[in-house]
Amino acid sequence: MSAIVQSRKMILDRVRAAIQHPGKDLADAAVEYSALPHNYTRRGSLSTAARLQLLIDRLREYDAEVLECNAGELPAVIAAQLAASGRHTFVAPARLPADWLAPGYEWRLDHGLNTAEIEEAEGVVTAASCAVADSGTIVIHHTAAEGRRVLTLLPDWHLCILRASQVVEVLPEYFDRCRQQPNSHSSEEDLSMVTPALATYISGPSATADIEMTRIKGVHGPRFLHVILVREQG
Amino acid sequence: MSRPAATHPVLDPTLAPPFPQAVLPVLRNPQLRKNVAHAIDVIQAKRASLVAEKTDWQELRSAASAIRTHALENLGTYLEQFETRCTAAGGTVHWAADAAQARQIILDLLRQEKASEVIKIKTMTSAEIQLNPFLEANGVHAFETDLAEIILQLGEGEPSHIVVPALHVNRSQVREIFARTMGLKDLSDDPKVLTNAARTYLRKKFLTIPTAISGANFLIAETGGVVVVESEGNGRMCLTLPQTMITLAGIEKVLPRFQELEVMLQLLARSATGERMNPYTSIWTGVTPGDGPQKFHVVLLDNGRSSILARSKHRQTLKCIRCAACMNTCPVYRQTGGHAYGSVYPGPIGAILTPQLMQMHHAQSLPYASSLCGACYEVCPVKINIPEVLLELRAEVIDQERNQPGRALDPMYWGLRIANVLFSRAWIFHTAQWFGRIGLGLFTRKDGWIHSLPSVGGKWTQTRDLRGLPNQTFHSWWASRGPQSNGVELIGGTK
Repeated sequence: MSAIVQSRKMILDRVRAAIQHPGKDLADAAVEYSALPHNYTRRGSLSTAARLQLLIDRLREYDAEVLECNAGELPAVIAAQLAASGRHTFVAPARLPADWLAPGYEWRLDHGLNTAEIEEAEGVVTAASCAVADSGTIVIHHTAAEGRRVLTLLPDWHLCILRASQVVEVLPEYFDRCRQQPNSHSSEEDLSMVTPALATYISGPSATADIEMTRIKGVHGPRFLHVILVREQG
Repeated sequence: MSRPAATHPVLDPTLAPPFPQAVLPVLRNPQLRKNVAHAIDVIQAKRASLVAEKTDWQELRSAASAIRTHALENLGTYLEQFETRCTAAGGTVHWAADAAQARQIILDLLRQEKASEVIKIKTMTSAEIQLNPFLEANGVHAFETDLAEIILQLGEGEPSHIVVPALHVNRSQVREIFARTMGLKDLSDDPKVLTNAARTYLRKKFLTIPTAISGANFLIAETGGVVVVESEGNGRMCLTLPQTMITLAGIEKVLPRFQELEVMLQLLARSATGERMNPYTSIWTGVTPGDGPQKFHVVLLDNGRSSILARSKHRQTLKCIRCAACMNTCPVYRQTGGHAYGSVYPGPIGAILTPQLMQMHHAQSLPYASSLCGACYEVCPVKINIPEVLLELRAEVIDQERNQPGRALDPMYWGLRIANVLFSRAWIFHTAQWFGRIGLGLFTRKDGWIHSLPSVGGKWTQTRDLRGLPNQTFHSWWASRGPQSNGVELIGGTK
């Protein structure tokens, strides 16, 4: 291993020698960093209704199916989606709200499911952390209601439930939410918005254009993405 | 271990022929040129429309350029911070000074896992260090899992683009490769059917092979996180299902903070594939108990990068985020495709990156593989001034040639020496013109054009004609007009 230890020192020495001011540390770098230009669009300008509509349009462009409902209607809408899918076996994160688990289906809650058990399932239902309207991106931080990464990967059908308050217009607004420190007033969902150790950003179903630039849906990830957007009030 | 078996001779810059020579078979292959042009036209059209809708595109480029420059100017600090954070999160960081060391570190890790097979996410860095043939020679078979990489691996082809590596292969060629290597006789050439064949072929490998290798789009110093950007989901499979993950990343991939992704991700997808966002972006930090690989290694690769960093004008080369917009817009790449560059990094960025990674010992023809039109600079999302670096490198190539002992035998050398004298005094120049008119007159046809010249002159006339010298020069014509005319009258008649 000594050759490797030497490499570490050698690379860092070379890198430091390459740049004029070698004495700089993290604090100096932070000062310099704060002066960098960030003049791009950091805030969206659309009304709430327009922002949600933009997200819906973007998701539909990706062939995702999108439904809207009020909070009270959610369990019934989930049940209708499951029924329409023609599927029977579903996996779900361990802490998915209980009233989302529509009766009449085989639910495999993830208390440490193995890969085969997940692979056999026909679909998965999860929450999400955020959505970005501008790019039609769903952000998953793999919290207890969003599930481990494998859960939203192997099943071919993914139903994702988003609250309207989770939808931002442009990507920087998502990163701003990640920077906000949680306080005592934070709800459980807000707590998921710290800088994540694990994250998956999904912008439409798995796709490739590797053969003659023809876009083909569904290579390895779920081929069917369904989104229910829950409007807060009413 | 010595150097790996040369199964990729075309893309090894130490063995590749010079660009003008390598390009000839491509220029004679109309099918290949058609495939490349088609793919590039599609990406370019998509990119153009999505960049146009982004009203803050130039501000994003400026921010990205500043962030990447800052990261490079503080690279040592940020690499150490990344190492600290990644280690604290349960990862192991390795440092590789060159390709041989990186290959050996990865092989040793695979041997610890007793791996005879490994699944891979597309990584150009692993192609740079020629990892696959080395592993194969040492008893580990690497399965590529990106659709384009499968096409190349099964068809024993070479990548010709850094984002769409098989863009030079058309659907009927893919059908032939898959039918032959997967034993699927009745396969059609419908891209959907072909994609599905790859899905089936790989599914079992994802579920059974416990070790994976990836590259990295970004390393985040602040968190120790690693970012992989992809479309197909093969990356997520490799990042999630195995027990051991080995990530190979160039040292220049570091971003100071998590928040920088808000700039980089917006630029990368639009520039690379003409999408508002790529279908999947994965971020992970060390090891997460119960989720994904429980052993995680990062191999940080120098392999010539620190020597690029040392030179202030050249440093910008390392800002590259590998979007390939420069090759998609390049009039040279459009005609030649990627193989002629003799490197896994083709196109304008390859023309500056490859010779520098080779520390100017190889690939000296690449800085000339450009018309210097500047289209690459204009599209670059991190504002790398590629033409500026091309010119710097050309100057270095000339300096190298100055010191070569065989130079005195080169007719071009003597031609330019003589030209140097001819242009130094007006009377020498006029005398030379007089002789030149007589000399060139021997080669000038009745139509006033020279179609063929001997020796060094042939380098010009083999691809284009040269107009014969006129009987009168501008100078002598001007003098013959006498004192009655002056410039003012000629230009505007300001009476």
